[in-house]
Amino acid sequence: MNEVDPVSQEELRAICEFLYRRTGMLFGEAKRYYVQRRISDRMNALGIAPFRTYFAYLRSDADGEVEKFVNAFTVNETYFYREDHQLRCLSSDLLAERVRAKRRGEALRIWSVPCATGEEPYSIAIWLLENWPEVDVQDIEIIGSDIDTQCTAAAAEGEYGARALMRLSPQLVEKYFVPAGKDRWRVVPELRQSVQFSSANITKASETRQHGLFDVIFCRNVLIYFDDASRRVAAENLFEALAPGGFICLGHTESMSRISPLFEVRRFPDAIVYQRPLIGGNGAGGKGGHSNG
Amino acid sequence: MPLVRKPSSQAPAAAPLALGEGTSEQRWSAVRAAADRPDGLALLADALSRESDPRVREAIFTGLARLATPESAALVVPYLRSDDANLRTGAVDALRAMPQACRPHLPTLLADGDADVRLLSCELARGLPDEEANRLLCDLLERETERNVCAAAIEVLAEIGRPEAVPSLVRCGTRFAGDPFMIFSLKVATERIAAPARDRR
Repeated sequence: MNEVDPVSQEELRAICEFLYRRTGMLFGEAKRYYVQRRISDRMNALGIAPFRTYFAYLRSDADGEVEKFVNAFTVNETYFYREDHQLRCLSSDLLAERVRAKRRGEALRIWSVPCATGEEPYSIAIWLLENWPEVDVQDIEIIGSDIDTQCTAAAAEGEYGARALMRLSPQLVEKYFVPAGKDRWRVVPELRQSVQFSSANITKASETRQHGLFDVIFCRNVLIYFDDASRRVAAENLFEALAPGGFICLGHTESMSRISPLFEVRRFPDAIVYQRPLIGGNGAGGKGGHSNG
Repeated sequence: MPLVRKPSSQAPAAAPLALGEGTSEQRWSAVRAAADRPDGLALLADALSRESDPRVREAIFTGLARLATPESAALVVPYLRSDDANLRTGAVDALRAMPQACRPHLPTLLADGDADVRLLSCELARGLPDEEANRLLCDLLERETERNVCAAAIEVLAEIGRPEAVPSLVRCGTRFAGDPFMIFSLKVATERIAAPARDRR
């Protein structure tokens, strides 16, 4: 890679503010190296220098550069059956509760957002096929969405390396994948057809609303990238995207209770998840107080 | 493979109604849309003064935090002194989500006549640049008489405190010399400030 001159503090601030307005993701001086690398990658890919010329190009959104720039900032590395205790909770507790709340024949809708390159929504599908006795009688809709359109395109292709499959048994790999070259495997067509992929930015209500209501949302390890205001907006968008009584699963280091009081905390044997109350919303001070001494 | 893909038949949510009308669902949608309107601040201010549903109120606070102006912060500030604990908590969280907008209000809030407001404001100071937060909290420690307010300031300084804060902490300790909790808190704060940054958390 050609080395691009480092951005100044003011340039860093300007481009981070641009990124924040577009995505809700907040990067500061502490992430200078991370931001610089991605700017350098884009400038090298386009053969554009200096930075101010690239920034003008970015702001004009020439040739869809904003989308490409945002794609460069999303963290996409994940693997199948990551945090599988939540998948166990899904098949042991969450879906049974949602089935009881639904009319006969009504589809169960599960949303993986952000879905990166598809490991999570495919994991959900495989897990249910392997572990949920009702999988044959319920109508299940699984949707994976991500702000990064290159990711969703890759997810639809469904091709993975050995690292992504490291948590799956050889039997599962044999059953749900076909070899696709050296150390590469592709999800079998039937499974690929069982998962839909779309673009969505969870800080934009106009984008989340297009996806309708879900029974379970997996939204793991993304809210940590947002500042407080964007986290609140995202939490409200996710609340709206849940059917009353629906559940949301966050990453193990994340807590909805620290973001929004709208949800109820539900403790199951395998996981702590958050639930949209059946009627209205919580919003009644579910968070810890601020008293002291 | 029994998993079935079905095209979604879900319709997008209906357009928002006026903020003071309709069900709580409709008011929720309306206030969520308000922050994007040019007259959003006035709409949210009016809605906040009338809204009683906690969920809708939460969305109003989020809308004001999204606007993130000193004016939107000024609308939230009075709720720090609400008798309703949920409203107070909502106001603190909203102000915490707009630290820059909250900034001009903090010196006044930290000198407020209501000790509960001063206590909550210590938490808000955590969102300021370290130097400014240290200065404001040390000023407070020098004059504050309420134990709980001092404890809140010490807790924040234990996390973001600079060496310049130590003299104020020491002087505060002399005022609470017979209070084991305060002595312990001050000891923790001064030790953490003295520790290398990598050992603090």
